[in-house]
Amino acid sequence: MRVVVDFADFLAKSISATVTPPFRRADVIKQVEFIAWESTPVVLFSVCFAAMVTIVEASFHMKLVIHNDALVPGFAALLILRELGAVVSALLLTSRVGAGVAAEVGSMKITEQLDALKMLGIDPYRFLVAPRLVACMIGGFVLSIVANIACLYCAMMVSEVRLGYSIGTFLMAMRTFVSFKDLIFASIKGLCFGAAIPLVSCFFGFRCRSGAEGVGEATTNSVVVASVAIIVMDFVLSYVFSHYY
Amino acid sequence: MNHMKSSTKVGILFIVTLLLIIGFALALGAIQPFSNSYELKIAYNFAGGIEVGSPVRVMGIKVGKVRSIEFVPDFKMPETGQEVKLVITVSIDKKAWPTVRKDSQYFINLAGVIGEKFLEITPGTLEAAEVTPGQVVRGEDPPRIDQLISQSYSLAGKVIEFVNKNEGSVIDTIDTMNKLVVNLDKALRQLEKTSRDQDVQRIIKNIGTMTDDLAFFSQKMRSPEGLKTLALINELIRRLEPLDSDAIHKFLQKEGIKAHIF
Repeated sequence: MRVVVDFADFLAKSISATVTPPFRRADVIKQVEFIAWESTPVVLFSVCFAAMVTIVEASFHMKLVIHNDALVPGFAALLILRELGAVVSALLLTSRVGAGVAAEVGSMKITEQLDALKMLGIDPYRFLVAPRLVACMIGGFVLSIVANIACLYCAMMVSEVRLGYSIGTFLMAMRTFVSFKDLIFASIKGLCFGAAIPLVSCFFGFRCRSGAEGVGEATTNSVVVASVAIIVMDFVLSYVFSHYY
Repeated sequence: MNHMKSSTKVGILFIVTLLLIIGFALALGAIQPFSNSYELKIAYNFAGGIEVGSPVRVMGIKVGKVRSIEFVPDFKMPETGQEVKLVITVSIDKKAWPTVRKDSQYFINLAGVIGEKFLEITPGTLEAAEVTPGQVVRGEDPPRIDQLISQSYSLAGKVIEFVNKNEGSVIDTIDTMNKLVVNLDKALRQLEKTSRDQDVQRIIKNIGTMTDDLAFFSQKMRSPEGLKTLALINELIRRLEPLDSDAIHKFLQKEGIKAHIF
């Protein structure tokens, strides 16, 4: 219960520091570079394989059940856009960025750098949390779009090489199932997941107990809680978006 | 790459994302900056599940899509004054436009394993004029499956009611028909058996030969020679007529023939 109250307090201070000036633009750009730019290769590599598995598995199951995989291109494209692209990239971002932020903030906490900041009259929420929150939201948004399009491209290639559906057929099937709002919803999901990662990581970083063990614990907790939060948020957002179809 | 400034990297990422969004929208057909089509409004009273984005085909080739579906409660066809409450706006490629004429028909069809709905336009004849862009035309309402089912259900109900009311006579009729069929079957079997009998076959064969002979005879009789012979016999009988029957009788007795004559 105490944790929930602490988190609510942390959330309020973080949001307040994020939406009120002065904004730390240079820090945000630096964090976007770390979060989005540097995560892009690993996210793209992973989601492409996830897309390949999805389309091959979907084809296998369709053939098993209805002895026809004509629906697979459209079906897989929809699955990628609605779930796979945003969720897989967010989970990867959690393991890379979430762990990094928690470790960084945790180290600052145990070496009393946070107290030093306070002594210098610098608000740690404005200095540490706000730039990471904004950058991670931007990163989540951008990465979900890039990952989704890369996923679709990979799925298209696999469906041509492995399943024998031409690019035209794939696009035609995709148009039947997919609409532009699917990408918008995916990017909104990316934005929300992106917000969850630094909030959870900084929260655990701020609560970090002293010693290397404390940093390790904070990192582990932040990754676990952020991953669970992403999965739960995905369910809630999917449920909400299903009313707009 | 690493010596690039952070802002450059972030800028590149934003530009790439923007381009990807635009590319995706273009691939989906959500935006069409170089539109090459005309719009046509098709009125229906029942549109059988067509949706915005459903394909429009002319002679089976995709030439456009459904742009919007509007409910217009007070709409009347300009030419006939018929009330039609649903107006579907479709886009049709300019290259296919000349095939859409005043006498074209607009059907809503079903295609593919997923039961995708599409709007099929039949090509019009050259005699009819082209339709003008934005014009409202009347579509052919697709058959309503629910209505068909309800009609056949009521028909089945009537049949059951009829059978229930006349159960006795229906059963009698069926019984009689059954007996009739059994008898017919027996008769046919008998006939088949008879036709296989050798005596019967011989008789039939003889009848055939006899009729052949008779035909030959009657043919001969009809020839000039036959007619001449007939005339001679006739003449002979006429000449024999005055003779006394007693004389003939005697003659026959003399020849040893016993007969009752006249």
